[in-house]
Amino acid sequence: MLNNKIMQNNKIQPNKNRQNRPKNLNLFTIRMPINALVSILHRATGCLLFLILPLLLIMLQLSLSSAEHYQMAQSLMNSPFIKLMLLGLAWAFFHHFFAGIRHLAMDVHWMTSLMKARFTSKAVLGLGVLATLALAVKLWAW
Amino acid sequence: MILEILTKRYPGLRAWLLQRLTGLVIAIYSIGFFVRLLVLQPNSFEAWHAFFDPCWLRIATLLMWISLSEHAWLGVRDVLKDYVPNVRVRTVLTKLVAIVLWLYLAWAVWLLYSL
Repeated sequence: MLNNKIMQNNKIQPNKNRQNRPKNLNLFTIRMPINALVSILHRATGCLLFLILPLLLIMLQLSLSSAEHYQMAQSLMNSPFIKLMLLGLAWAFFHHFFAGIRHLAMDVHWMTSLMKARFTSKAVLGLGVLATLALAVKLWAW
Repeated sequence: MILEILTKRYPGLRAWLLQRLTGLVIAIYSIGFFVRLLVLQPNSFEAWHAFFDPCWLRIATLLMWISLSEHAWLGVRDVLKDYVPNVRVRTVLTKLVAIVLWLYLAWAVWLLYSL
């Protein structure tokens, strides 16, 4: 309704009341800039990493308690499905790691202009994928 | 303590600074851990156990885990603040996260001690 009004008048009118404010909450209509993508992935991977903390502790406990349990953990890790999940989680860690470093860099006012920030965003995404690929090679080829 | 004095008038700054400092601790630990893994390449139970044997590594791991608890606490708390508008539900979830993180810390301490 308001959009029509805007199109008719070809200018944005100041809102007299709150009900007339435009709502555009359909996220699929918003194109995400690369910086936003890195940011939301940083948050999402952070949540994921928090959720898998008990798994990390269980695996650590299992692998360190005795030789038999170590074998058990080892054979668990050898199944392809688990390996894939591990890769996914490793990507989450790598992305969170690199995006975190990017945050720290920006906190000391390094790489803060828009173009530079876009470049570091690409670097963060690329490094996360590269590190995961390197781990994949290590997991499957060795 | 120094943090508290420095940020006495700005409690938000304390959270911000702690998030960064703990993140830095975890990052440095991760790099060190990764390098140690690459150098030693433990592929048996004995080697894996020996990997965690040195006292300094256990202390470092403990420090890292304390940082991790704080880091996760600040992060998840912010996420809950953003996405759970119902105050009662949020309070319950936030407390649950705190309890769970304390339990993980106790677990980690016990694990490192009983090696």
